[in-house]
Amino acid sequence: MAVVLLPSLLATEAGGQQRFELDAGTVAEALRALPIVDLIFDERGELRPLVNVYVDGVDLRDRDGLETALAGSEEIRLVGAVAGGGTN
Amino acid sequence: MVRILVGTRKGLFIFVAGDERRDWTLEGPHLVGWEVFHAVLDPRDGSIHAATNSPVYGATVHRSTDLGVSWTRAEELGLPEESGLTLEKTWHVEPGREDENGRLWLGGAPGVLFRSDDGGTSWEAVESLVSHETRDRWHPGAGGMCCHSIQLDPLSPERMYVGISAAGVFRSEDGGGSWTPANQGTAADFLPDPFPPVGQCVHKLLVHPQQPERLWQQNHCGVYRSDDRGEQWQRLEGNGLPSGFGFPLALDPREPDTAFVVPEVGAENRVTPDGRLGVYRTRDAGASWELASNGLPEPAWVAVMREGFSFDRLDPFGVYLGTQSGSVFVSADGGESWSEAASQLPPILSVEAVAWP
Repeated sequence: MAVVLLPSLLATEAGGQQRFELDAGTVAEALRALPIVDLIFDERGELRPLVNVYVDGVDLRDRDGLETALAGSEEIRLVGAVAGGGTN
Repeated sequence: MVRILVGTRKGLFIFVAGDERRDWTLEGPHLVGWEVFHAVLDPRDGSIHAATNSPVYGATVHRSTDLGVSWTRAEELGLPEESGLTLEKTWHVEPGREDENGRLWLGGAPGVLFRSDDGGTSWEAVESLVSHETRDRWHPGAGGMCCHSIQLDPLSPERMYVGISAAGVFRSEDGGGSWTPANQGTAADFLPDPFPPVGQCVHKLLVHPQQPERLWQQNHCGVYRSDDRGEQWQRLEGNGLPSGFGFPLALDPREPDTAFVVPEVGAENRVTPDGRLGVYRTRDAGASWELASNGLPEPAWVAVMREGFSFDRLDPFGVYLGTQSGSVFVSADGGESWSEAASQLPPILSVEAVAWP
């Protein structure tokens, strides 16, 4: 089972659950099984540009993207992009 | 009891007081981590609906049926794929009429309107506005192309209005099935033709609840009134107002000739003029304006966003404003005097006040 870890805002939106254990063949399958799928993918099904995904500490962009295969024991961590000092 | 729903860049703050509207108690913050562009309490069932946005996680709507203790996010919002548009922000939630069980309206960017018939669980884009024949002549400005004003005629069940920045005012006579531009007489000084059919930058639109053929509008280019459901608009400044530029607008719920604005110096200097937080009131339908800022800070160079101004229906009626500097000011006597109800909040995006039994 792969483990997905959510940042606090997404965990709140997921009913307070921060850690999900999922049986999925790819990262896309794992992410699309989450109850906050609408917050990490846009209405066209694209991963939102400021949502960063790390699989065992490696950025998804440096792997095979959403089609990155899962063997079953990976840790998938979602992180909102660092954007300190902006208007927020 | 009166509640003020204060939407900020960092969550929703709710303030509660008795009908004297003096000593305010904070509930919240709620919706932590979300930018709350607007929140409203639905008088039909007491539910709260909030237009919520995140720079990382997109645009959505949250609702609470227990006055903010718990929140549910709407099902995924989206625009028809064939439109080529994608949802950018949610801006304003407007409850339907008293007899329209479960109906709510939601305005968003880019110039879109959604309708819910299940109390805000799911939302469907209003196709007639998505594919409006004039859309190619709408040009987004600094605030995006936001549908920020949704007004229902209280006496005509099929008549409603929307105000969209950089697109203008549109009226529907068939419950949102079709839309007619209603911009005659309003200026678009930033376009080659200053009086085009569409493209005006309305900043806020309100229908008077007692006299619904009367509309008030704060525009990028002036303050306006219409007495014929938006067929023709009359420009009202130059008679006591220091500037025609501004965003928020409030009304006297019983007196159609009374309105309030909070002008800013201009588009290139978006602070209140003359070094004060100046609320200006007309009591003669815009023929003249007077300062109604007794108790508001001076000196001050502040800004009140388009949703940052509200009024209640009590007698005397209350007027409420929230600043980008994080202060909430309340007048419990129709604008005669003001006091600070809260300060040091995050930048305030919206204020809605509602008397609650």
